[in-house]
Amino acid sequence: MENEIRPPRRYKRSKLPKLVRWIFGLIVLSYFFWRLYTVIIVQNEYTPDIWVRLLISGLVIGGVYSLIAIGYTLVYGILRMINFAHGEVMMIGTFAGYFVFEATNAIRFTSSTGEITSLSNAQPFLSILLAFIVGMTVAATSGFLLEKIAYRPLRKAPRLIPLISAIGASIFLQNLAQLLFSPLVRDYKNPDLIARGQGWAITVAGARLTIPYTGVLTFSLSIILMFALYTMVRKSKLGKSMRAVAADKSTAALMGIDVNGVISQTFIISGMLAGAAGVMWGLHNGLVYYYVGFLPGIKAFTSAVLGGIGNIPGAMLGGMLLGMIESIGPTALGISYQLKDVLAFVILIIILIFRPSGILGEVLSEEKV
Amino acid sequence: MNKKLVSPSLKRGLTFGIVMIIFVLIDLDVMVATMLSKLFGANVIRGSLPDVGFMVLFLILFGMFVGWSTSSDDAKPTTKLFQALVAGLTLGVVLGLFDLILNQLIVTGTDVRKYLAALAPESIRLFLFDQGAISPLLHLGLFTVASLLGSLMKILLKSESASRFFKGVKSGYQGLQAKAQANTPNWVKKYGKFLLFLLIGLLAFFLPRIWGSYNNYVVGLVGLYVILGIGLNIIVGLSGQLMLGFAAFFAMGAYSVALLNAPLPHGIMLGFWPSLLIGILMAVVAAVLLGLPVMGMRGDYLAIVTLGFGEIIRILLKSDLLTSFTGGPRGIQDIRGPTLFGQSFSSDIDYTYIILVVMVLSIFIYKRLERSRTGRAWLAVKEDTKVAQATGVNIMTNKLLALCLGAAFAGLAGGIFAARNQFTGPNDHQLMVSMNILSILIVGGVNSIPGIILGAFTLKGLPEILREIENYRLLVFGGLLVVMMISRPEGLWPATRPNIEKDEGNKLKEDGAPGKGGLND
Amino acid sequence: MTDPIIQVKNVSKIFGGLTAVNQVDIEVPEKYIYSIIGPNGAGKTTLFNCISGFYFPEKGEVLFYGDPIQGLSTNLVAWLGISRTYQNIRLFSNLTAVENILIGLHPNLKTNWFEAIIHTKRFQKEESGSVKEALRLLDYVGLKGYGDFLAKNLPYGLQRRLEIGRALANQPKLLLLDEPTAGMNMNETAEATHFIKRLRDELGITIILIEHDMKVVMGISDRISVLDYGTKIAEGNAAEIQANPRVIEAYLGPGGAALSEKYKKQRLSNAKSN
Repeated sequence: MENEIRPPRRYKRSKLPKLVRWIFGLIVLSYFFWRLYTVIIVQNEYTPDIWVRLLISGLVIGGVYSLIAIGYTLVYGILRMINFAHGEVMMIGTFAGYFVFEATNAIRFTSSTGEITSLSNAQPFLSILLAFIVGMTVAATSGFLLEKIAYRPLRKAPRLIPLISAIGASIFLQNLAQLLFSPLVRDYKNPDLIARGQGWAITVAGARLTIPYTGVLTFSLSIILMFALYTMVRKSKLGKSMRAVAADKSTAALMGIDVNGVISQTFIISGMLAGAAGVMWGLHNGLVYYYVGFLPGIKAFTSAVLGGIGNIPGAMLGGMLLGMIESIGPTALGISYQLKDVLAFVILIIILIFRPSGILGEVLSEEKV
Repeated sequence: MNKKLVSPSLKRGLTFGIVMIIFVLIDLDVMVATMLSKLFGANVIRGSLPDVGFMVLFLILFGMFVGWSTSSDDAKPTTKLFQALVAGLTLGVVLGLFDLILNQLIVTGTDVRKYLAALAPESIRLFLFDQGAISPLLHLGLFTVASLLGSLMKILLKSESASRFFKGVKSGYQGLQAKAQANTPNWVKKYGKFLLFLLIGLLAFFLPRIWGSYNNYVVGLVGLYVILGIGLNIIVGLSGQLMLGFAAFFAMGAYSVALLNAPLPHGIMLGFWPSLLIGILMAVVAAVLLGLPVMGMRGDYLAIVTLGFGEIIRILLKSDLLTSFTGGPRGIQDIRGPTLFGQSFSSDIDYTYIILVVMVLSIFIYKRLERSRTGRAWLAVKEDTKVAQATGVNIMTNKLLALCLGAAFAGLAGGIFAARNQFTGPNDHQLMVSMNILSILIVGGVNSIPGIILGAFTLKGLPEILREIENYRLLVFGGLLVVMMISRPEGLWPATRPNIEKDEGNKLKEDGAPGKGGLND
Repeated sequence: MTDPIIQVKNVSKIFGGLTAVNQVDIEVPEKYIYSIIGPNGAGKTTLFNCISGFYFPEKGEVLFYGDPIQGLSTNLVAWLGISRTYQNIRLFSNLTAVENILIGLHPNLKTNWFEAIIHTKRFQKEESGSVKEALRLLDYVGLKGYGDFLAKNLPYGLQRRLEIGRALANQPKLLLLDEPTAGMNMNETAEATHFIKRLRDELGITIILIEHDMKVVMGISDRISVLDYGTKIAEGNAAEIQANPRVIEAYLGPGGAALSEKYKKQRLSNAKSN
């Protein structure tokens, strides 16, 4: 074979792509800092109490995002797939909680003082507990069924396939909820004890503001749940098997771990967290409709990626961070509140440009060749 | 042995029972009965209920399906019947219990529509055959018998003699086909393809004039989605980048045409064609701006970033910030259509022509791209990025190029879309649009043009034609996606790879030069 | 000795705390078949990855015709004329064999996407030329008639050949073969050995080979390096390597050299007595 003799080629190195990336980042960053500087130092029209208020709402939203984000991260860590229907699982949890409150609210009796009260007001703790238990159970069940029906048959398929299936399941669940419960936006009936808008009054720098009860409930409960989950994954047998399955499915199976069982349990756990988040969302924001899971779902997924997908502390951090960015960001940068989602995504893109695996995600070495 | 048999059948009966309950809860049972009655030519007025007979028919069909699917393929006939019996009984019992609740609702006159919006008393009555308390028993009997019938059907159709019969028919058909092929005159072989194309061309020319504006609308919609599908296919199918914000490029095209060619808010009135060109350009520019910083990301990260990009564009379009520029949430009205040779060229027939021509052009371009050095490089990148790079393919430029070309198609489709609707707003560019296009690809078959056309027709065309199922179409669509992925992940019309060696060999033979061996001889 | 085509100078690659390749020097003259051997985990493949651009070595230089190439992205390394195959075959498995080779031709083609759309004369010429070249290569590696098979459907031996075919399509100056005979039986191995030799003799390609099969290595190598725990412990021609006590110890463990002497003597005496 006469291989054409080709003169050796020479190549000059260029650092242009890297340079472009850094220049891009620098411009965006300096713009951010400039905006921050003008709003906070130059204009200085916001009093500390406003910042505190924004901080509180950021923490609350962040807690919810974190809980949902953990579900994304758990599933991603184990199956390497984006469980696109996770937001819908949360929606189902929200609806379950709604029906519990409707039911407890409908049961009325005369209390010892002679007033007519409903069960939810007479026994607020019980009804809240009930709502969370039912919400978490129903959401966990739907997560379990979702995996069993829509994902399990696709375990070995190329990665696009389960994603499409997840998108399909998401659309299906949304529309099922719409057909079942009508597209109406309904009101969550909180027990009076944690009525929306009520809260502890505190004074910050001379101005009064309230810390909403629902916010406190949401935040503290999400912290407790996150802590419980983290301990579970670190310490328990199930957590260990989950990590084993995440690292290598076939080896885990050889070690005697029931891979399918672990995956099912993962979906159940992430469903429970999403269900709790859903009930919190309902209690705090007060609205429930078929579309309620969509945006929080997307946001939570964003937070999971932000923190480093597959990494549980990353999901918590990402969720909190995203909540803060959304609530404080627009004010701090002096842009319209409508653009909070834009801000969230822009920050995601910027972080991913500089840390392609998220904030806490491990930097993947050059992949095994 | 029995336990092994009973338990799966029980489960199946239970599952189908729940499915049926959901059917009832969302009123889908009545919808199907209505469709059935239409199928049999009954004239159903919108809003009225079909005859009870059709509900019975639907339930029988359902029960038969349960029986059919419960009887396992390799079991003996008696076992099959037994399985079907168990499943049918379970189904009947589940629904019987459900009927009791429903009946109670009717008797007490409770209206549950505050919570379960679709559960109207009339629909419940129809489902219960208006028999009140005996309907549970009726259902039990009906489902059991239907399930057994379904099983019997399976036994008969899958029996040896039946399969022999089908085989005979098949071989006969194949024989006929072969005979026909042998008998085709030479000119048909030579010009057949050309004639076929001519026929399709003629049809495409005359049909839009005949079949009315609604069909034109549907065909146009399908055509636009084919163009979009081709664009996304370059990104997802060829170069393997999961893009979830494709609607952003679509929006670029649509808004460019809208802003440059509508009286409000700017009144530039540049004319359709130049603004379409600018729209394509804008989409490409957006693709470059998005692509440059994020090209190096891994698949799933890219997915979420592109999704975020799509949302950013949509939110910006409807934000107060840009209201004066883009018209905000109300969008832009009164977009002017194209003119050709000084004549207005914007009736719905004209749009159908434009879309069909652009569609054919897109297919043509796509085909040429796919069979080129660039197309192969894309496929290599999709298959194995690292190895493709080590084979000498520049990943960055090729991925970016795919993104830009895909975006160009989207911009093109967006421009036409805006002008055809004479309106565009932020809601035309929701995440759902991106998902729809992606689903068209997957359902039809990635990298397969006939697949994309079929997919666009199935997902966009059929729901438009079947207006009855309007409320249910997204539900069906979502469920269909899941079922497709499980049962036929390669799509309705999967792509095939070209047989280069064979074709080249044939060409050489035609040229008269014998296929020359290489060094081995 | 002709000028070296590639020089690996003092290259180190560290993963976390582990030094996978430790200050390795290698010089390969043109048209040599150069083998790198060593026990599993000795850093052979890592060294390949450093040469072909997959890894950026922490220390040292890789010179190709005297120009440093370390840290260049792999596509540029390929474009410069270095092709490689992989230990666990990595073909584009859903594409046909011909398409795999056509992709291998990529760095030598020039037409861009626009020419492809409007089908310029140049495009048509290049396209038909490249298809012809691909078919010729297909034949050369012995896959005639298998061209339209999907790569994943080919039998294992043919996949190896196809991978070499893809690497050859680049018209490489230097070919890195990572265990080309792994998993082959004796006949196939012999065939492959012969084939590798032909590559050098007929095409004038310099070849660096990672191989575990000593028969292959000793049979065709002009020069051999031995790696152990990332360090080069020996270099020389086949006879030198076989006699080197450090090499034997690397394979058999400490005391291996003495053991091997013993067995050799035993064999010799056995042979005499027979």
